[in-house]
Amino acid sequence: MLQVLWNGIFVGSFYALVALGYGMVYGVIRLLNFAHGDLYMVGAFVGFISLSALGVRTGGVGIPLLILTLVATMLVTGLLGVALERLAYRPLRGSSRLSLLITAVGASFALEYGVRIVAGADPQVYPVRFDLAALEVLGVRLSGQQLALIGFALALMVALHLLVSRTRRGRAMRAIALDPRASALMGIDVNAVVSQTFFIGSALAGAAGFMAGAYYGKIDFLMGFVIGLKAFTAAVIGGIGNIYGTMAGGILLGLVESVGTSVLGGQWRDVLTFGVLILFLSIRPTGLWGAPVAERA
Amino acid sequence: MSLPAVLNARWIGWLGFAAALLAPFVIATPYAMSIMTSAAVFVMLATGLNIVVGYCGLLDLGYAAFFAVGAYTAGIMSTRLDLPLLATVPAVVLVTAGAGVLIGLPTLRLRSDYLAIVTLGFGEIIRVTAGNLDFTGGPSGIYGIPGLAVGGLDLSDPVVFYYAVVVVVSVAVVGAARLSSSRLGRAWRFIREDEDAAEACGIDTYRTKLAAYVAGAVWGGLAGVLFAAQLSAISPASFTFLQSVLVLVAVVLGGQGVSRGVVVGAVFIALGPELLRDVADYQYAAFGVLLIVIMILRPRGLWPGRAGLGRRDA
Amino acid sequence: MRHRSSRWTAVLVAAGLILSGCGNGLLGDPGGAASDDGPIRLGMLAPRTGSEAAIGPYMQNGAQLAIDEINAKGGVDGRMLELVVEDDACDPKTAVAGANKLIAAGVHVSVGGYCSGATLPTLPVFHRVKIPMIIPAANSYELVEQKLDNVFLINGTGDQQAAAAATWIGKQRAASVVVMHDNTSAPRDMAVRTQSRLASTGVKVAVEIVTPKESDYSANVAVALRAKPDLIYWTGYFQEGGLIIRQLRHAGYRGAIMVGDGAVSAKLVEIAGATEAAGVFATMTQTPDTLPGAQGWLSAYKTKFGQEPGPYSNQSYDAVRLAAEAVRAAGGTDGAKVIAALAKVDGFPMFSGPLRFTPEHTLSSGGFQILVVKDGRFTLADPLT
Repeated sequence: MLQVLWNGIFVGSFYALVALGYGMVYGVIRLLNFAHGDLYMVGAFVGFISLSALGVRTGGVGIPLLILTLVATMLVTGLLGVALERLAYRPLRGSSRLSLLITAVGASFALEYGVRIVAGADPQVYPVRFDLAALEVLGVRLSGQQLALIGFALALMVALHLLVSRTRRGRAMRAIALDPRASALMGIDVNAVVSQTFFIGSALAGAAGFMAGAYYGKIDFLMGFVIGLKAFTAAVIGGIGNIYGTMAGGILLGLVESVGTSVLGGQWRDVLTFGVLILFLSIRPTGLWGAPVAERA
Repeated sequence: MSLPAVLNARWIGWLGFAAALLAPFVIATPYAMSIMTSAAVFVMLATGLNIVVGYCGLLDLGYAAFFAVGAYTAGIMSTRLDLPLLATVPAVVLVTAGAGVLIGLPTLRLRSDYLAIVTLGFGEIIRVTAGNLDFTGGPSGIYGIPGLAVGGLDLSDPVVFYYAVVVVVSVAVVGAARLSSSRLGRAWRFIREDEDAAEACGIDTYRTKLAAYVAGAVWGGLAGVLFAAQLSAISPASFTFLQSVLVLVAVVLGGQGVSRGVVVGAVFIALGPELLRDVADYQYAAFGVLLIVIMILRPRGLWPGRAGLGRRDA
Repeated sequence: MRHRSSRWTAVLVAAGLILSGCGNGLLGDPGGAASDDGPIRLGMLAPRTGSEAAIGPYMQNGAQLAIDEINAKGGVDGRMLELVVEDDACDPKTAVAGANKLIAAGVHVSVGGYCSGATLPTLPVFHRVKIPMIIPAANSYELVEQKLDNVFLINGTGDQQAAAAATWIGKQRAASVVVMHDNTSAPRDMAVRTQSRLASTGVKVAVEIVTPKESDYSANVAVALRAKPDLIYWTGYFQEGGLIIRQLRHAGYRGAIMVGDGAVSAKLVEIAGATEAAGVFATMTQTPDTLPGAQGWLSAYKTKFGQEPGPYSNQSYDAVRLAAEAVRAAGGTDGAKVIAALAKVDGFPMFSGPLRFTPEHTLSSGGFQILVVKDGRFTLADPLT
């Protein structure tokens, strides 16, 4: 049973990392960014291409090189997110939220099939395999790379927390989430803050994509779709727009899935997960930590 | 709405209907008939979702669930009980309305994005369940569904079937438009514009929203019957989240809340990828970019209500 | 009112007449009739977009290779072969549109079909116009259950493969087996049939179902390992298969692993990792890798397309060869005659062995063998004869 919980927490930390970007973007412009999962996919491919370009062969690879690639990947996906917001979302800022949703769907198609044109439809396999020794604690098998990845995900989340809660920039983000118009009147450069939010959120998704590529090994152009769906779910469970709620939502989703598979069998997992979600929302309609959403923001 | 505007709308409707009737005279290859029939079925789906999203302002990301319920009900009854497809229609209406109530009851108190994720969840639950159960045929689904027949008249020839679908879908589109201009329709739009104010004015918002949900469900279910008749085989693969999203895209792209806009949007979404087939590898990338460009150029949809009347126009 | 509506009808009819004067309208030639001379057109539906997009090119390349070989030898009775490929995206609606597009393009024989769910609705479409279908990959029982005379499956059936799996598992003396599948048509069929065969011989069997297209199967792996299996049989495809093998090994599983034909691909080994995949068994028809004298085929494929053949490349290759053979035997491309010729084929050499169809139009013998991964490649372990 402990093994099941550990598996859930591990998967959940990936969900959380992707869900954070989802939640942050939602927080500032109330957009369900359908293309967010695809930024995760792009991150995986950017990492793949840079590692291949560096001529890394299967086998030993230095941690510094991996971290360097990770940073480069985050930079590229972050900038891609900013570009996406500029080109596809900003022109529609004043329109109905559903119009924005449609451009997000369009962006999702464009990213997925754009990558397909570049990298092909065949799944690619990461040139590095991140292999560290495993250890057993209380009969639970924890692999070194799992611990490293969870540690890294936590570090990113803490950094995000510090950014949002301790810096001027973070305060501006929170202000815009509360009331964009008043924030603009208070002299906050809304466009700049939205861009920064997209940068951070997309970079986190890209990081998660790279980490998933290095850990699982297989990447393909549609890999972002499922995780986008899961991240959205996690963000809602946690209370969409709330950073800590989102982290908890990700972990919780991972746990429910893992336990569900273990108890009901794999084919009923999604039924259970969404069933729990619906039940949960009927009882607590704003998620774990969410504030009531203002309909006419 | 002023009288000239009504006439105007009627004329456009008739024109669209005539265009649909004349299309096979221009091109009647099996391929053209196939994609035109699919497009007509898709118009029906978008019209149904428009009741929920366009008229009432409820974001639904799991609309394919009703489409699936309708298609499966018709498919199972016609193959297991040896009924003609037409005879399953009353059952389909009942079952899909029931599904609408079932999904609506616990969730319609939720607002906006929470409602979105719950509907998404229901969509996935229906699809996964259909793939798991034996009486729904598991992952292969139901096959050998008979074509449409009225009395002894076989309507399964592609061209004849196309005309039958066009007639049914036209009635559905007009029916939805009539519904929107009824008292109930006005209540829906009131809720869309301002739910709190609507409630304060004495509208039972919960029941009104439920009515929109059930109406949307029935439209979707009937579209499912047409779909089952067209394909002769249905499986969970046809009722994915992506399908729900594409219907939503059609509604918003065309101009939510406006029948003619929704019809145009649905035809565009259904035919777009087919017409782009020949650019093969670039098909969906081009389609995605096209969606973005259209939305930026026409943020209120391809053919929304008139600007002066804003979103209140139906 | 009546006056107005009759005027409208007149206008409509007139417009119809004018419009159909030009082109493929109702009153003109609606097209779609395949011609009896000129090139022989073979139509192939295969996924090129959507979740199975990776498979399409493998099938298309396999078919193209056969076409080029036959054309280089002068075609069939002087008529050249031509391949027309349409995307079915593994989506029923797209598949039906694609099938109709193939018919409109005048194809004589269909040599495609990968996803059972998307292939099923295309059967009546081809049946209506008497186009024979040689289906290289999809092999669900549902495809032949409707007993349409134009439908031929040249991939071994799920039951034949399950029988091979059960035989091998018996030889291995495995006492506890877990069968894993992804809840799609063919893998599920195979898993269920393997399960019932094993259960009847007294082997303890559990089934674990995964959700396709994900990355983390550790939860499923944990459930599978709870049954303490000696052998785990994965009946799905290579993407998930590679991940599952890797995650099984990393969870400390040391027993045997076997995969079905959909997972036999160089990519499986690559995804799982060479160490993890070593010793993995597979139920598979004869492939160029295991067939003596087929090295030429392999190198021809690699030279032509710059990559290794993948899932169903060789079945697609055989589908085209069989289509050519049937057209030759029928003395032309008339649908009914080609169908009759196909039903009578006896001993035509294919990768799966000499071909003869059962009355249901499936292979009389699946030709399944057991392969094993050795030095990163699938090699023959036991021909099971």
